[in-house]
Amino acid sequence: MGERPENRVDRIVGSLLRGRRLKLRGGDAEEKEAIVMAARLAAARQGPQRMSPAFRQRLVKQLGASPPETWMTRRAALVAGLGVVAGAVGGGLLGRSLDGGGSQTSATAGHVVQPTNGRWIDVGALADFAPGQARMVRAGAVGAFVTRDGDSVSAVSSICSDLPCELWWDASQHALVCPCHNRTFTADGSSIGVYKLRSLDVVQARVLDGRVEVLGA
Amino acid sequence: MTSDARPPDPVPEDAAEGQVVELPAGSRVTDVAIDELEMIYAFIYSRVGNRADAEDLTQQVAMKAIPRLRQGAPASAVRGYLFATARSVLGGFWSTRLGLSESELHEDLAMAMPQGGYSEESVERVRRILEQLSDNYRRVLELRFLHGYSLKEVAVEMRSTVGAVKVMQLRALRAAAKVRLDG
Repeated sequence: MGERPENRVDRIVGSLLRGRRLKLRGGDAEEKEAIVMAARLAAARQGPQRMSPAFRQRLVKQLGASPPETWMTRRAALVAGLGVVAGAVGGGLLGRSLDGGGSQTSATAGHVVQPTNGRWIDVGALADFAPGQARMVRAGAVGAFVTRDGDSVSAVSSICSDLPCELWWDASQHALVCPCHNRTFTADGSSIGVYKLRSLDVVQARVLDGRVEVLGA
Repeated sequence: MTSDARPPDPVPEDAAEGQVVELPAGSRVTDVAIDELEMIYAFIYSRVGNRADAEDLTQQVAMKAIPRLRQGAPASAVRGYLFATARSVLGGFWSTRLGLSESELHEDLAMAMPQGGYSEESVERVRRILEQLSDNYRRVLELRFLHGYSLKEVAVEMRSTVGAVKVMQLRALRAAAKVRLDG
C-alpha cells in the first residue's frame, strides 16, 4: 500500500516505453492526467503508426466472417464494459428481452424494454402531450420519449440504439437526435439517414383515465 | 420535461475532409472501412501508446461500426462514424482502466478528434506541448520518452539522482497535461 506517486507513474512509463500494454492498478486514477500524457508521449516517440500486415489480415478475416446480426452481443458486452451512463440507463437498457409482449410496437421498432420489477408510472396528463411531438419523460430509471397520436400514445427509449448517449428532440427536424454522433431517429424510433442503425427500443406506455403512464422501474 | 437545448455536434457529417465521395458501385463498405481503419488505428495508438491495446481497440471499433455501415455511405461519413465510435471506445478504455466514469475523465484526455485526420497531428501536438514546459521538465520528458533514456541515464545527463528524476518526471507529466493548445 501507499506506493509513492512518482514510483506509480514511473512503473507505467517504464511499461509503456517497453511497448507493453497499459496495466493500471487501483489508485492509479489519482494520476490520470499524467498517465494519459505518458501514453501520448510514448506514442509520439514511435511516430505515426500503421497496422501491422498480420493485424490487418486478421481484421479483414474477422470482418469477412462476421455475421451481420452478431453485433448486438458484442455491443452489449462493450457497453457493459464501458460502464457508460450506467446510472442513466439503469437496468432497462441491458436487461431488455428480445420479444416483448408490449404495446404500440411499430413495424420498424426495436426491442421492448422490460424493466425488472416494472411498474406503471404516471408521467403527466394526456392533454399536456402535443400531438406528433416527442416529449421526454422519466419513469423511474427508464427514460423515454412519448409521442401522442390522438387518444393513444407510444414511447421509445431515450437512449440511442447505437452509442450509449441520451437523445434529444429537435422539433425543427421533427427528429430525435443523438448528441454523440449526430444520428437521428423518427419519433417512433426508426433510424433516419444512410446508416443502418437499429431502431430505438420500445418503452411501454398507455393512457389511463386521461393520464399517460409509462412502464418504468 | 422537454429537452430543447441543442448539444454540440462532436462529429459533423463531413468533418474529415469536407468532400463527400460516393463509394463506387460494387465496392464493399468493408473494403473502404478497412482503409479508413488505418487512420483509426493511428489515432488510437497515439492515445494509448502501445500496439497491443491499439489493436484491441481498433478491432472493437471495427466490429462495432462496420456491420452497421451501408453500401452507398459517403467515405467521409464512414470516417466520421468510425472516429465517433473510436472516441467512444477510447473513453470506455480509459474509464475501465482507471476505474472512473467517463464524466470523471476530462474530455481532452483521450477523446479529441485529430484535426487533420491523421496522427502526425498528435506528434506535432506533443512537440508543441513540450515547448510550453520549463527547460527541466521538457528535458526530462524528451530524454525519457523521445530518446528512450533509462532513469539512470537521465539522472547522469541532468546531473541529478534517480529519485529526483522520478519526481521531476511526474511533475513534468502533470505540467504537460495542463498545457492547453489553441486549435
